[in-house]
Amino acid sequence: MDKERQLIHELLDGELSPEERRDLLDRVNSDPLLKQEFDDLRSVVNMVETAERLTVPPAFTSQVMRRLPAPKVSFWKRVSSFFFGQRVLRWNMVTALATVGLMIIITAGLFQLRNKDTVISYQRPADGAARTVAISFYAPQARKVSLAGDFNKWSTEKGLMKKESSGIWTLEVPLQPGTYHYMFVVDGNVWVTDPNAESYRDDGFGNKNSVLRVSL
Amino acid sequence: MQAEEYSLIEQCRNGNSEAYSVLVERYQEMIYNVAYRMLGDRDTAYDISQESFISAYDGLKRFRSDSKFSTWLYSITVNKCRDYLRCRKPDVPLDEVTEILPSKMPDPEDSLHQKQLGQTLQAAIGALPEDYREVIVLKHVEGLDYKEMESILGVSANTLKVRTYRAREMLRKVLLEAGVSNG
Repeated sequence: MDKERQLIHELLDGELSPEERRDLLDRVNSDPLLKQEFDDLRSVVNMVETAERLTVPPAFTSQVMRRLPAPKVSFWKRVSSFFFGQRVLRWNMVTALATVGLMIIITAGLFQLRNKDTVISYQRPADGAARTVAISFYAPQARKVSLAGDFNKWSTEKGLMKKESSGIWTLEVPLQPGTYHYMFVVDGNVWVTDPNAESYRDDGFGNKNSVLRVSL
Repeated sequence: MQAEEYSLIEQCRNGNSEAYSVLVERYQEMIYNVAYRMLGDRDTAYDISQESFISAYDGLKRFRSDSKFSTWLYSITVNKCRDYLRCRKPDVPLDEVTEILPSKMPDPEDSLHQKQLGQTLQAAIGALPEDYREVIVLKHVEGLDYKEMESILGVSANTLKVRTYRAREMLRKVLLEAGVSNG
């Protein structure tokens, strides 16, 4: 590329001083071939610079945003967001009613299970817990019968028995496993040995105490 | 503008991707037009522009705050265009281009004149070798100075000047052969 043409390009880039520009244009105007080249180049530059610019389709930005990779979140941030992040619960009436129904069923089930537990523990007490022993005595004529034994310090009042219509007096006594001696006290002053006792032992006063064994 | 852009970029780096939409809105027209002039096809230009913005977002951590965001974005787009053109079929040799161009320009009074002139110009730009096309687009479509072009293309300003002069000469020749006369 010769000097003249290089200057023409510098002029097109606006890099010449006013004097250099005037000198060049004088030379260009005096040379028809150079003038033609200069005009053509100026026209080409003008064409490119004024060429219509395309309008970007409207969805461009939103599409870029949709395609962006998901932000990388640290493990602890994810854990924190899992526990403390706000959530929006979407619901409808059917789901809500079904949920309430399910909760009622579960609650009722738990209550029943607890009651059953009580029954089981009652039937099979843990080691060391008291058994409830039912003791009965047939005395249809008696007005009052009480159960006295070493478990209530031979009290004639504490173990009052309850009379049933058939003439049988009964009492349920909670007892730890072990061996106990007892007698019935009829009408407050008559001491009677249980005729159905499993065994007997002399009481040292000429009578026999009934013996009861409560096993584990 | 510069400080505001750095603030937006910082927000993007901190995971606020919504801040990026401001930058996309601002530069989409610029990037889309560069891609179109480089590739000559609207659909391809759209795809390459999209990819350029996504790559830029991915690489925001590497963006150095001593340069302009637009310069960096131009650079990414030019590279995307180069990659695309490399994978595509080879360019048509320059001496065959005039056969593709309209042999005679229509009457300027014709309502289609401007449209056809635009198509002819784009065909002529597309006929330039890739490195010449880059300088014509950045210099005259985008109106950048050689210093900024140096940052975008990684080539010295003096080399880019010479390349631009030759690219203009070549474009003049192609357009003349296509019948686009002075004025």
